[in-house]
Amino acid sequence: MNETVLEVKNLVKDFDSFQVLKSISFAIPRGKVVGLLGPNGAGKTTTINILLGITRETSGQIWYFGRNFFKNKQGCLQKMNFASSFNTLQGRISVWENLLVFSYLYSLKNPEKKIKELSTYFEITHLLPKRFWDLSSGEKTRVNLIKSLLNEPELLLMDEPTASLDPDIADKTLSLIENLRKNKNISILYTSHNMDDVTRICDEVIFLDKGKIVAHDTPLGLTKRITKTVLKLTFDGDKNALENFLKEQKQICSFPHPYTVLMNTKEKTIPKLIFGISNLGIWITDIEVEKPTLEDVFLRIARGEK
Amino acid sequence: MSISRMKAVLLQEFYITKRSLEVILDLFFFSVMTIVVFGFVSLFLTGRVSGAPAHYLILGLILWEIIRVNQYSISVGAMWNVWSRNLTNMFIAPLSIKEYFVAHMISGVAKTFLIFIIISLISLAFFDYNIFKLGPLNLFFFFCNLIIFSWTIGIALLGVIFRFGTRIQALAWGAIFIFQPLVASFFPVNVLPAVLQKIAFALPPTYVFEAARAALSNPIFNWKFMMISLGLNTVYFLLSLAFFNYMFRRSKETGQFAKLEG
Repeated sequence: MNETVLEVKNLVKDFDSFQVLKSISFAIPRGKVVGLLGPNGAGKTTTINILLGITRETSGQIWYFGRNFFKNKQGCLQKMNFASSFNTLQGRISVWENLLVFSYLYSLKNPEKKIKELSTYFEITHLLPKRFWDLSSGEKTRVNLIKSLLNEPELLLMDEPTASLDPDIADKTLSLIENLRKNKNISILYTSHNMDDVTRICDEVIFLDKGKIVAHDTPLGLTKRITKTVLKLTFDGDKNALENFLKEQKQICSFPHPYTVLMNTKEKTIPKLIFGISNLGIWITDIEVEKPTLEDVFLRIARGEK
Repeated sequence: MSISRMKAVLLQEFYITKRSLEVILDLFFFSVMTIVVFGFVSLFLTGRVSGAPAHYLILGLILWEIIRVNQYSISVGAMWNVWSRNLTNMFIAPLSIKEYFVAHMISGVAKTFLIFIIISLISLAFFDYNIFKLGPLNLFFFFCNLIIFSWTIGIALLGVIFRFGTRIQALAWGAIFIFQPLVASFFPVNVLPAVLQKIAFALPPTYVFEAARAALSNPIFNWKFMMISLGLNTVYFLLSLAFFNYMFRRSKETGQFAKLEG
């Protein structure tokens, strides 16, 4: 059964006369990782703040685990958590003390055991006695991740959780997210500007732009919306003959190097082009096909292109 | 309400107090130094002013510290989390504002009681003034009324800070002093001009200070004044909670709460 852990219906947020969210609706099924992407000012942070209950919506409904968030706020918050690389904990007290405070906020039965277990996984046991404000930004991010996992949430909201992490820990964090989804069936709403991360871990992606959902699909589905790929050929032969052939085929091309041609073409025409070029007696020495990525989709949306 | 969540807030308060020189200075050091200064002034006056008025200052100060310390504890207690950008984290956890306030109220009363005992013992040991002579009933009601008043002010100020942000954070520790002359903490109310006397009698602590001064010469329990004080406190406390709720809601509507930071 495809149970929904979060359902947002017609969410609207106005700040005075400015409408930041224009009736957005989406759902997160159990065990799925959903990316929330969009350019700056698209409304991602406002959405997350409303979902966390720290900003009040103008209208709309939020349902967590089938329960109305506004009527069962504490019950819902008990089963979810939030992690962000921009989030800070109480700076004056130690990491251990901070985590202990949050363990009690989530009414954990055996907080010491849980903190030790997560600290070991994230390799921060040596940081536990340190004051939070004495940590580096990467260390703070790891402590925040631990805080977000203390209550074994069923739903995790993550705002750029791997920003400021070194590649090794960032990879570990992504692996952890993958494991959480696989082993504990945890659901995640994930915002990031790192499109490789999003492509790697997200099952679905929601694109927000100017307060509206402009696309909602799988990462593959979104990239398929861009039908053109970049074809780069390195050749040995008559450049003019090649140029004329490509004009006949109505291909827009450029020659960044005397023996290299770049084309923006549809994927399905590539075999036909290569066959045609070979028939001209031109020797193709290298072929590179650059398929569109999620980043290309993001850039198109951010630039207002169709 | 969850005991575990209130324990979390109390635990955090304990850790912050333990590690913050500012808190120790603002609460303990400031209280002790003020009682020392006022104690010497009181000793000086004892030789020159006959009867109880010589002790008005030291009595007023010990009682005033109940208001100051408790209000500071409520308002500034929240500010430590605002300055660390941790306040919203606390409310992303299933902590309710009711649990948060109750925990801070408990913490405030504990700190205030400790400081009250310390400065009372100092005044007894070094300045020949024994506040305990006022009797347990008087002291209990004085303490309770002043505590409720300081909660009222602390909660209202927090509402203003949540709504408008840290640009007006100085109110957290400064605004309470507006009430120091208005509640006639160090002198009889009749010293004030007529208009200010009317304001004074609309404020619950005035009745405590008046009753305390009267009890210096005759330590009887003034039921009337204590009940008026309690009645006013109840009204103001409820108004303060309503005001806070309104400001908290507005802060969430405007997005200010999510942006609260030091």
